[in-house]
Amino acid sequence: MHTGLIVDDAAIMRVRLREILEPEFQVVAEAGNGNEALSLYEETKPDFVTLDITMPQLNGIAALKSLLAANPGARVVIVSAVGQKQIVFDAISIGAKDFIIKPFDPERVLKSVRRLFE
Amino acid sequence: MKVEFANIFIRSAIEVFQKEANISLSRQSLVKKNAPIPSLPVSIVLGITGYLRGQVVYSLDENFAYSVARAMLPNKLPAEIRKLTNSAVSEIANIITGQASIALAGEKMKIDLTPPAVFSGEGMLVDFLSIPTISLRMISEIGVIEINIALTEDGVG
Repeated sequence: MHTGLIVDDAAIMRVRLREILEPEFQVVAEAGNGNEALSLYEETKPDFVTLDITMPQLNGIAALKSLLAANPGARVVIVSAVGQKQIVFDAISIGAKDFIIKPFDPERVLKSVRRLFE
Repeated sequence: MKVEFANIFIRSAIEVFQKEANISLSRQSLVKKNAPIPSLPVSIVLGITGYLRGQVVYSLDENFAYSVARAMLPNKLPAEIRKLTNSAVSEIANIITGQASIALAGEKMKIDLTPPAVFSGEGMLVDFLSIPTISLRMISEIGVIEINIALTEDGVG
């Protein structure tokens, strides 16, 4: 079973994403900001990451850059409320595999993560 | 501040409450204020920077906040829902503001949001900057949410 790291500063969003993902994937860790995400990625080496953008300490775009610099093969799906065109473009240009705008359909999240392993 | 901003937030709030919590909202009132001071006990404050600057302050009462959390977490027990209530309303506010920012930013502008801050409890005193504010009240079958929009565009009020 592929493993995942959920990164979102909202506890409720981490709960909901875990509920969506867990029947099919194993969530090995949760992070509430970009710094925690980077530490937990190194510790758990998940197969994929869901990553929010607006977070305290280190935001998702900065975390994405650092994560991919250290782990070029990391599979990251952005899940964020901030879906402005420039931000989506920036995230995909940096190397995110997909960008899901909140409010999201749970099936959209599942399809996006499944596609990472096709 | 442009009144059209109000329509953008009204549309976003209606869409997000429906999709996230299956709650139907409709517009109750719109007034102008001197600052985004909330009038209900649970408040969520987001900062906005970029081509638009200022704050959006949401407020609702505790019962409505709990109802929103319960709608977002239909499989959880009441004790867990209570623990996640502040996170639920904070995230709803974040998503509404994020949705609105897409329309506000348009094709070429960029708007950044700060992570939401939640304040709850009676008798709390919080100072807000005096920024011309549009205050919306949106009503549902189970409660009212107030959205205070205090935004300036390129330094113009």
